Amino acid sequence: MRHMLINTRARIVAGLAVAVTIASWTASSAGPRREFVNLKVLPKDVSSKTLQHIMIDEFEDGLGVGCAFCHAGQKGSHQLDYASDAKPEKSIARNMMRMTLRLNARYFQVRRPGLGDPGLAVTCQTCHQGKPRPGE
Amino acid sequence: MKKAKQEDLLSALESEDGIDRAGFIKCMAWAGTGVLWMMSGGSLKSFGMSQLLDKDTGRLKPGITLPQADFSFVQISDSHIGFSKPANPDVTGTLQAAINKINAMSSAPAFVLHTGDLTHLAQKDEFDTLDQALKSVKTDRIFYVPGEHDVLNDGGKGFLERYGKGTRGQGWYSFDKEGVHFIGLNNVFDTSEGGLGTLGPDQLAWLADDLKGLSSSVPIVVFAHIPLWTVYPQWGWGTRDSEQALSLLRRFGSVSVLNGHIHQTMLKVEGNITFHTATSTAFPQPKPGAAPAPGPMKVPAEQLRALLGLTSVNYVGHDHSLAITDTPLIVAP
Repeated sequence: MRHMLINTRARIVAGLAVAVTIASWTASSAGPRREFVNLKVLPKDVSSKTLQHIMIDEFEDGLGVGCAFCHAGQKGSHQLDYASDAKPEKSIARNMMRMTLRLNARYFQVRRPGLGDPGLAVTCQTCHQGKPRPGE
Repeated sequence: MKKAKQEDLLSALESEDGIDRAGFIKCMAWAGTGVLWMMSGGSLKSFGMSQLLDKDTGRLKPGITLPQADFSFVQISDSHIGFSKPANPDVTGTLQAAINKINAMSSAPAFVLHTGDLTHLAQKDEFDTLDQALKSVKTDRIFYVPGEHDVLNDGGKGFLERYGKGTRGQGWYSFDKEGVHFIGLNNVFDTSEGGLGTLGPDQLAWLADDLKGLSSSVPIVVFAHIPLWTVYPQWGWGTRDSEQALSLLRRFGSVSVLNGHIHQTMLKVEGNITFHTATSTAFPQPKPGAAPAPGPMKVPAEQLRALLGLTSVNYVGHDHSLAITDTPLIVAP
């Protein structure tokens, strides 16, 4: 494995996971940039900064969870397999992301909403309030 | 602490270190989160001392003087450059406030330890901002260990390129200063499952080798990002294989373990090992179990800087004293 996406972190991330994994480097004017794979909702050319912002500031803080809430572990290791779709929470996370984007576009007239955008009317935090399941 | 030993220490303080006995006893009766560490007769003692600090100025109250030190160093932690949420929209400003505190010290610290989470998202521009700010610190050198936020994108490659020169493995290292052995550990490269830190077999083997030739009387200071004692495993506030490291350290008469990660001051004494966690320069986190989950805690703006801060350490060689003071970022009037 050349590079692990997102890599390990304590108390971190993520809740609603995005299917991300191993990546390769390409050069750009903004410096090294990763190409993430197995992205099904997030833009395939998402920058590392935007991706990490969504994972940490939106999912982690919004749901009060860590990476392993959605991402499955690697066999024989404490590390996570970010590409794996093995955990059902990851699929739920994708649906939640789609729902959030549609709510913003359809009911709050947010033009071309993107996860992590500061102008969103509805975010993870709106309902989750720092809990994995709203209302618990 | 047994009464006899306490009396011995107090006598020593009176005779040589300039701390007023009455003031010291009074401070011991206070409850607080700050800490004064004193090493006496080869064993490290700790005393709550946050109330020694004037809450308005962040300085020691009149009449209380810390021992003269052979050298001192400062620990800062969890700067989270790039963070911009309401818990602190100006983390660069509060880092600068910490730097101002360091630069205002009566004698410049020999060096500064940054115990990780320099950045929030491990972005190049965030590291650049931190580096630019820390250039103004009046000290000879700054030592770093990574936090989990610093290794988000590339497994720590960027961090090690910047700060890992001369280190071993994934960034662990040691150095000596005035007879004290300092050890920087990396426990964030394998922390995904449950959020707990991990040192790993390679680093533990290196640690065993590093300690092998040292006399048990050498004071040891270990610093790493995630606590090496189990603060609150439900939130990942601990290191899964820390016991293996601690078993290597137990033969030493004085071991001080400095960590960050939890953004609040905590202290635990276990035999000759004293564990201390530092506040953040960026934002506070809730006390363990006091919230559904860890994370940035928004407090009224006027309270923020009282919950952020830095840790300064004075070491006195001739009487084996080590004094650690947590200082909040309160602005002096």
